[in-house]
Amino acid sequence: MSGMSMKLMLRDAGIGIALLLLIVFFSLSTEHFLTPNNISNILTQITINLILAIGMTFVILIGGIDLSVGSMLAFCAVVAGTVLTIPDLSVFQAVCLATLAAIGTGVVCGFLNGWISAFWGLPSFIVTLGMLNIARGAALQVTDARTIYSFPPSFNAFGSQMVVGVPVVFLIALVLVAVAWFVLSKTVFGRLLYGIGNNEEAVRLAGHSLMFYKVAAFTIAGALVGIAAMVYMARLNIASPIIGIGFELNAIAAVIIGGTSLNGGRGTVVGTLLGACIIGVLANGLILFGLSDFMRQMITGVVIILAVIIDKYRERITAS
Amino acid sequence: MTYTDSGVAHQTGASRLPILDLHDVRKRFGGTVALNGVTLSVAPGEVHGLIGENGAGKSTLIKVLCGIVKPDSGAISLAGEAYEPHTPRDAKARGLQVVHQEFNLLPFLSVAENIFIEHLPRNLFGVVKRNDMNARARGALDAIGLKDIDVRWPVERLGIAHRQLVEVARALMTESRVLILDEPTATLTSRETDRLFAIINDLRSRGVSVIFVSHHLDEIFRICDRVTVLRNGETVFSRRIGETSHDELVRGMVGQQLQKEMASEAISSAGQDITLSLVNFRHAQSPHADGISLDLHKGEILGIAGLVGSGRTELLRAIFAAEQPLSGTLLRDGKPATFRSPREAIQAGIGFVTEDRKEEGLILTMPIAANVTLASLSSISRVGLLDRKMENTMTQQFGADLKLKYGGPSRHAATLSGGNQQKVVLAKWLARNPQVLLLDEPTRGVDVGAKAEIYALIRRLAEKGLALLVVSSELPELMTLCDRIMVMSQHRIVGEVPRAGFSEEKILTYAYQGERRQTGH
Repeated sequence: MSGMSMKLMLRDAGIGIALLLLIVFFSLSTEHFLTPNNISNILTQITINLILAIGMTFVILIGGIDLSVGSMLAFCAVVAGTVLTIPDLSVFQAVCLATLAAIGTGVVCGFLNGWISAFWGLPSFIVTLGMLNIARGAALQVTDARTIYSFPPSFNAFGSQMVVGVPVVFLIALVLVAVAWFVLSKTVFGRLLYGIGNNEEAVRLAGHSLMFYKVAAFTIAGALVGIAAMVYMARLNIASPIIGIGFELNAIAAVIIGGTSLNGGRGTVVGTLLGACIIGVLANGLILFGLSDFMRQMITGVVIILAVIIDKYRERITAS
Repeated sequence: MTYTDSGVAHQTGASRLPILDLHDVRKRFGGTVALNGVTLSVAPGEVHGLIGENGAGKSTLIKVLCGIVKPDSGAISLAGEAYEPHTPRDAKARGLQVVHQEFNLLPFLSVAENIFIEHLPRNLFGVVKRNDMNARARGALDAIGLKDIDVRWPVERLGIAHRQLVEVARALMTESRVLILDEPTATLTSRETDRLFAIINDLRSRGVSVIFVSHHLDEIFRICDRVTVLRNGETVFSRRIGETSHDELVRGMVGQQLQKEMASEAISSAGQDITLSLVNFRHAQSPHADGISLDLHKGEILGIAGLVGSGRTELLRAIFAAEQPLSGTLLRDGKPATFRSPREAIQAGIGFVTEDRKEEGLILTMPIAANVTLASLSSISRVGLLDRKMENTMTQQFGADLKLKYGGPSRHAATLSGGNQQKVVLAKWLARNPQVLLLDEPTRGVDVGAKAEIYALIRRLAEKGLALLVVSSELPELMTLCDRIMVMSQHRIVGEVPRAGFSEEKILTYAYQGERRQTGH
């Protein structure tokens, strides 16, 4: 066990403890929190944010940010929805094609995000702010602002399928977390993403192409948006050009609460998983607790700020 | 002149009481002992040299004095009263100021704004009195001889040496009783160092005490009245400058006679084969159409001397394609080669130890192992999967070869001292087994002991047939190491000196000659 991954694990453990405390608190203080029904409810609710946040972790690790994931989700969804409702296709064919279309759309948008910011050396904040508008406009244009619905019933059923009380879509998200963890911690690719986040010039001068890794991080984020779009459609049975507004901020919040540094180079996808869980548990628990949705939003905001403050202290302790 | 003649000037000689007195100051950071009993006293109007290897405790001591770090124990008094600053502001209020090694200037603000950043002159409505500020900044710069800089320029327009002098000017804006200069000459050319020394002499005559931290012993002997040597966080001794010698100071710092290594006569291992050849090689900033032409032989150590800004670093960066060369030919083993990126230069067997270790050479916040293997990840991985065992083995092997002092492969590079950090950078390139190694200021900020080891390593590499191109601002370094020295000025080569003809005068004459020629018309 190397010291760095040890430290990262300690960091994750701290966030895990925070999550546990929340769960204990809500279990004791509300009646319905710790029921199988409610738990699977929470897991379903965090799935989409979690998938988006995995991609966001890649982008933030290299010191970037992706503001366009919410809009891209809508764009991917309407493209996939259009494919899914093509008549004369078997359900299987339609779902396969739609999935390809959703991921393909995400990959193209993500690639453009990465390539434009890397090629012209622009801050990804600006480029993805542009993409936020482009993707939203494209989604509205393609559908003429109409909502697409009446998907195959079996597709919709998949969205609410359970395996021993756990939603299948959440299991998909967990598999994605595992793959992302493996890529980030075990591969040369992952090592260089961390390297770029910490000191991009040193990585460049050691003979690595910054362009490749930056474009790859944004493209991965785009692909995950495509997957999230499919999950969204399967769950809600619609594809609308106005879905996903503000989703990017929730994804960023999950990554930050999970202990990943906005400056890049530091953080794990396990942290992101815990961050997404904290947001989901808070949202659900506070409502069961009897607080209004407005209060919930305020508290989530406080938690984001608290997470960063705690992280700052933890950094100081581990540094000395 | 803005630092006015205050009460402090009259104290000179009036009393023999020290202005600053430290007794048995100690500080630990977790398990590491940074200060292990520092005792030091500085008289009013004295220029006090502070020397020691990297990691000897100089930086911690300075942090204690300026209120960034709180000592665990020990007594400090300033002007006879107990001195326990909690912030740099406290320190300043008590009359102690530090000009740090790292730059604290704001690059996009003007020189004048930077000088006055703490007390911008304002009118009744809080609006900055720009004319007043600029005029006073002008005065401050003139006072230290920086007449060629416009105070309205943004700092980013200044070279690194000028920035350092602006820092000094800023520190002089407030009166101090004790001024600490932390390696102020590291980035200065000898002309600017002269300028700085004139300022220090002026301060001394006003009764201001100066603590002068430097790696350059010649400077210590030139400017200091007394000198204190630190080793492993302890005071080894303090001596009047007239009562000590170069050798004694070095012995004090390293604690053993490592200097033999540094003095040993190099035997040239330069061969006949030309490994790297440049013909009319130009980069974007090079003003001359004829560019640079040179031949680097197998096993040769070729030095490049020149003043700061003469284009030495830019040349290395262009060879390595860190910046795109503009025109001209580069021949690698006689074959023309065009590198579009550092990646291609590396594939052609070239390595580049950059001048700025922290910004370009290392990923400080990642493990030592990750740094050592950064340029050779393919040799510690299979189908893109990292093999940690191989990575650690490789790191330990280079650690042993280069006598790296480190806590373990997984410790961050930031935990190492300057000399050991530089060894990690060298290991990173040696792991690729290059044929050409470009070295830019290979021992900047490196202590005496590690310096000797790096010299020995460079010689060993040359014996094995590696061709080395070394840029350095320290002439003794080039003269110790090199088989041949080329002198650059204004982006061209103005002279070449073979080992037999090495002398500081000769090289400096070339360096300044080129400059005069340029500014003369």
